[in-house]
Amino acid sequence: MDLFGQYVINGLMLGTIYALVAVGFTLFFGVLDVIKFSHGDVLMVGAFTGFTAAAGAAALGLSHPALQLAATVVFALAGTALLGAVIAKWLILPLKNAPRLNILLATLMLGTALRESVRLFYPDGSNPKAFPALLPTSAWQFGQFTLRVDSTILVVTGILVIVGLHLLINRTRLGLAIRAVAQDEETARTMGINYTLIVLVTFALGSGIAAVAGVMDGLYYNEINFGMGLLLGLIGFSAAIIGGLGNLYGAILGGFLFAALQMIGAVALPFASAYKDVFAFAVVIALMAWKPTGLIPERASDRV
Amino acid sequence: MDAQTPAIEISGLHTAYDKADVLIDVSLVAKPGEITCLLGSNGAGKTTLIRSILGLTPPHAGSIKIFGEEIAGEQTHKVIARGVACIPEGRKMFPKLTVVENLRLGAYQEPSEAEIRHRLAEVYETFPRLAERRNQLAGTMSGGEQAMVSIGRGLMGKPRVLIIDEPSLGLSPLYVKENFRIIEGIRDKGLTVFLVEQNVHQTLAIADAGYVLSGGRLVAGGTAAELKSNAEFHAAYFG
Repeated sequence: MDLFGQYVINGLMLGTIYALVAVGFTLFFGVLDVIKFSHGDVLMVGAFTGFTAAAGAAALGLSHPALQLAATVVFALAGTALLGAVIAKWLILPLKNAPRLNILLATLMLGTALRESVRLFYPDGSNPKAFPALLPTSAWQFGQFTLRVDSTILVVTGILVIVGLHLLINRTRLGLAIRAVAQDEETARTMGINYTLIVLVTFALGSGIAAVAGVMDGLYYNEINFGMGLLLGLIGFSAAIIGGLGNLYGAILGGFLFAALQMIGAVALPFASAYKDVFAFAVVIALMAWKPTGLIPERASDRV
Repeated sequence: MDAQTPAIEISGLHTAYDKADVLIDVSLVAKPGEITCLLGSNGAGKTTLIRSILGLTPPHAGSIKIFGEEIAGEQTHKVIARGVACIPEGRKMFPKLTVVENLRLGAYQEPSEAEIRHRLAEVYETFPRLAERRNQLAGTMSGGEQAMVSIGRGLMGKPRVLIIDEPSLGLSPLYVKENFRIIEGIRDKGLTVFLVEQNVHQTLAIADAGYVLSGGRLVAGGTAAELKSNAEFHAAYFG
């Protein structure tokens, strides 16, 4: 039973991370109808920025983990938000009227460039980095079931970010503008919305949220590497697709569903847990064949 | 501001949009507080002219002034900030937003929540039906109700110049009549209305002045009374 509990916590943890990656894909698709394949690598850059900030804070004598964590989060968020806006302004908006495949290919190549740049130019970038344990390492004991404090903080933080995003999109003027641009760019412009600004803010927002996922991943596994964005990006993209691309809640659902599939693959099926990704992706393929427009199709619900 | 400053003053405007729909040397004036109409058949360039004013299709040459301020080639949100609003052709609701969200977007550049609430109350007074349906998704409403949302949304920005693109398109005669009555009411409150229409008789019945666009060129212009009796206009418009 305690093993089952650990798997549930692990699944929630991964589901939160995947959901945070998937909402980025869905936000970008919502406002610009584009798939930004560099998203996973932007996440990786966020994790490395956070890692560097933690090291920098430590070097400056800020020894308290909370201060290092604050530096990690602030720099990771700001760095990726800026990177996301730069990518939108200089790569994606100029290609807006080009065939979709061009944008897909351009962002795929950008992702590779980001990945290789970190590998080549970051000090000892080709080796995994030990991410510092900045969260309390204690644990609560419930009978045989152990609940780690750090996991709990991470899951709760991730869910708060998702709830915050929901409120931002549905309750604020900025969110209203994002939804208007997603539905009808030209009419949104004639309402007086600064279209370019909203696109840049949306890309900054989606990228910042990916950085949260990247830092969470680093804190959870105590390790980051230059290739971490590849699988996380692919999983986030799959989660957004099976949820129904363009739908925020579909993306969140998709993220948790993918994590659940991995856990089922690891625990419940009669083969080695190393096959969990094979199982999860196979189910994703089957789901896409069954519901090509996703579990929450865009037409039946709000876009973004 | 000089009372004689035209609300819209366009001179020597050249615009190309989708190659087929072009404007050639268009010059016109809309006086403040009047309904100025632009008549023309499909493909005459009416929509291109609106797109030029709104900055959606920047002109190649020429000048567009709103109350004396040059706006040709400006970004759309900056044009809107100068007091221009548009009720677009086909109403262009945000179908998956509620009625009140659609209306609020009309006042997007207004920072004061109190002012927005005040304007909402005004719109609800004009269209009580919208107050009842404020939380309904705009896409689920009838064509006539969507027309109310579209007009209300245009008024939410408290514009100085209101551009209305083919308000009669796709509406039943009853709604068309109602819409034209509302447009007259908007003018009577002091707003400048630039009304783009194909419906000649009903439009000239409420307009103060007008122009006729054909093949991208202005072929006639004058007061509504002049246009009604202008032989050239009849030739251009009815072939």
